[in-house]
Amino acid sequence: MQYDDSLWRSRRALIQSLLATGALAAFGSWSEIYAAAKTTRTDARKTVLTTEEFADVDAITVLIVPTDDEPGAREARVPYFIDTALGSFFAARAKEFRAGLADFQARAKDAQPTLGAFSAWPSDKQISFLKTVEKTDFFLLVRDFTVIGLLTMPEYGGNHQGVGWKLIGFVDQHVFAPPFGYYDRDYAGFKPYEPKSI
Amino acid sequence: MSAGRYHDRDQVDFVVVGSGAAGGILARELSVAGFSVVVLEQGPRLDTADFEHDELKYWFLAGITNDIATSPQTFRSSLDQEAKPVVGGPALKYARMVGGSSVHFTGNYWRFHEVDFDERTRLGPIAGTGFADWPIRYSDLEPYYTRVEWDIGVSGLAGASPFDPPRTKPYPMPPLPVKSSGVLFERGARRLGLHPFPAPMAINSEPYRGRPACMHCGFCHGYACEFRAKSSTLFNMIPEAEATGKCEVRAQSYAVRIETASNGRVTGVDYFDAQRRRHLQKARAVVVAANGAETPRLLLLSASSRFPQGLANSSGLVGKYLMCNYVSRVGAVFEHELNEFKSVQVTRVVHDFYDADPRRGFYGGGGLDARIGPQPTVWAQHLAAEGPSWGPEFKKRLREFPRAMVITCHGTAVPVASNSVDLDPKLKDAWGLPALRVTYRDHPNDLANARFLQDRGVEIAEAAGALRVARAEITESTSTTSLLGTCRMGNDPSSSVVDRYHRSHEVPNLFVCDGSSLVTSGRGQPTMTIQALAFRAAEHIAQFARRGEI
Repeated sequence: MQYDDSLWRSRRALIQSLLATGALAAFGSWSEIYAAAKTTRTDARKTVLTTEEFADVDAITVLIVPTDDEPGAREARVPYFIDTALGSFFAARAKEFRAGLADFQARAKDAQPTLGAFSAWPSDKQISFLKTVEKTDFFLLVRDFTVIGLLTMPEYGGNHQGVGWKLIGFVDQHVFAPPFGYYDRDYAGFKPYEPKSI
Repeated sequence: MSAGRYHDRDQVDFVVVGSGAAGGILARELSVAGFSVVVLEQGPRLDTADFEHDELKYWFLAGITNDIATSPQTFRSSLDQEAKPVVGGPALKYARMVGGSSVHFTGNYWRFHEVDFDERTRLGPIAGTGFADWPIRYSDLEPYYTRVEWDIGVSGLAGASPFDPPRTKPYPMPPLPVKSSGVLFERGARRLGLHPFPAPMAINSEPYRGRPACMHCGFCHGYACEFRAKSSTLFNMIPEAEATGKCEVRAQSYAVRIETASNGRVTGVDYFDAQRRRHLQKARAVVVAANGAETPRLLLLSASSRFPQGLANSSGLVGKYLMCNYVSRVGAVFEHELNEFKSVQVTRVVHDFYDADPRRGFYGGGGLDARIGPQPTVWAQHLAAEGPSWGPEFKKRLREFPRAMVITCHGTAVPVASNSVDLDPKLKDAWGLPALRVTYRDHPNDLANARFLQDRGVEIAEAAGALRVARAEITESTSTTSLLGTCRMGNDPSSSVVDRYHRSHEVPNLFVCDGSSLVTSGRGQPTMTIQALAFRAAEHIAQFARRGEI
């Protein structure tokens, strides 16, 4: 319902997907998990996913935010963020995530029985396959995790060295002064209305 | 024992349940008036050193908000359905800490208009709803709106909006500097003949009452202010209450039952401390300000043989008429950078569509404002739901972040009795108490109004010269932070829970004052009005106490 001060509202699909990303049902206290994740996961190593799972997750995140002349999900270490998340603050989603990934892998094998693991396919084949599963809950979950891993604080293991923030033009700074953007540079000041104007 | 610290066995004058927008004011006003006050707050006491620009923590991990892992909720859209446990996040969300939702709000602080208080008389009934006049009028509340502006601290420009109701004093601080979104919004709206005005904001534009001016860090919406520039009760009312030596704020104290004596009067509040030990704090009177979700829940949890339907509930209306102002949104991308991630969320507002107009074919009105809403991660989540959600085109859109803004359209919610909170018959919280059950479906007028306001937002964005405009889909509400109407005020005990002074119609020493008191929904942005009600209620409650009438 509410989106503003009242934070959320409407746009059920969006909000549900967004909120679903925040599921944390298994934990009584985010603070312990948060502290653990934040202090230990600035390096690139994985703890939850198998090597093959990790490779496929990596391949999917690269398709979501590709690397071109600027960094994408891989350079932001999004796959490591996801691995960390599934082992800590999003552990409640780990079972669902792995089941979804297994289903994804099975479908991929059906689609291309001879090409081996999804991560090893040529990218054009990966893209065409992803289009066939882009409405699945698993893909939406990976997409949400990718966005979070790209843009949330680097302390959680993604957004490595702030590359996600640089990509979108966000400046991680706590003090700003006007003018804030192009359009408020030459603002002439608020002009009051004549009483008769309404 | 230091001054102002009380034992449970001491009968204090007042227990105030909740330390948020209303509770903070009630605690301060009653303790300044010389009464002994204990405030019970279920959340922790945090301070600026705890506050970070951490989207994951604040938006995805219930960092300072109620957490369904320990405080689960169920939801259904009509009374004939079985409510299901919510997943992902609460249906009714609030900040759970000392200062309550005044800590994480955006601070958009317009006053309700005169029409909000007697719209039923002006427009007539709405069939099948509890649409009603308030027992007070704008003129009754005006002095207390002024108190909010001066005691809490609001920046703004008096007289800037031709639609503003009468006021007796200017704002204590000038408006905050306009942002590019405000300039564009103003440009578009003026081209359409509308009357945009500088947003009144509960954020310091200059140092005020011991707190610094805003540093424009941009993390207001959903965050706690690390500079104390946001006018949260955590930074003003609560410390001022404590400074009297008469008020003790007990954090991590979860009120679970209001006790009553055989004479029908309340005697104190039963609560869990941080170690989950039970206590009973005795009091001469109890003031419940736990928000529009938890206040009715506490009254229902306080059922007894004398009050089998729940305390103060002979009308059967405790928990009914939940109103969640509908907010529709319009996204817009411009040629040059706006950098909406900087500074406060809102700098310009339009009230031209505030009043309902029967010619539109539905009841409803609203205010529109310009903002980005949340910061990068949440913004990108919204973006992914709106257009291409992966691949090079998605990446291209991510990079539009500095050039994007959002027009937010704050609408009405018709009071409908079936829209309600009560106790779930099965699900329990981590303390073994019945979980909050939410039943909610937007009234058709609320959705029609949302579409109408969104159309106006699109027109403003286009008139401002947006390169691309996108409408956020309008669907039925399933969650909100607008927690209004669930213990409505009124003169008639059969159709309201509290009287015009916020006193329970049936329990003379029980008062309720928070978002639950509202009779109609305004046009969103209710905190300003909740706080004006709290100042007014505190004045009357103190008078009753002095006269021995509690």
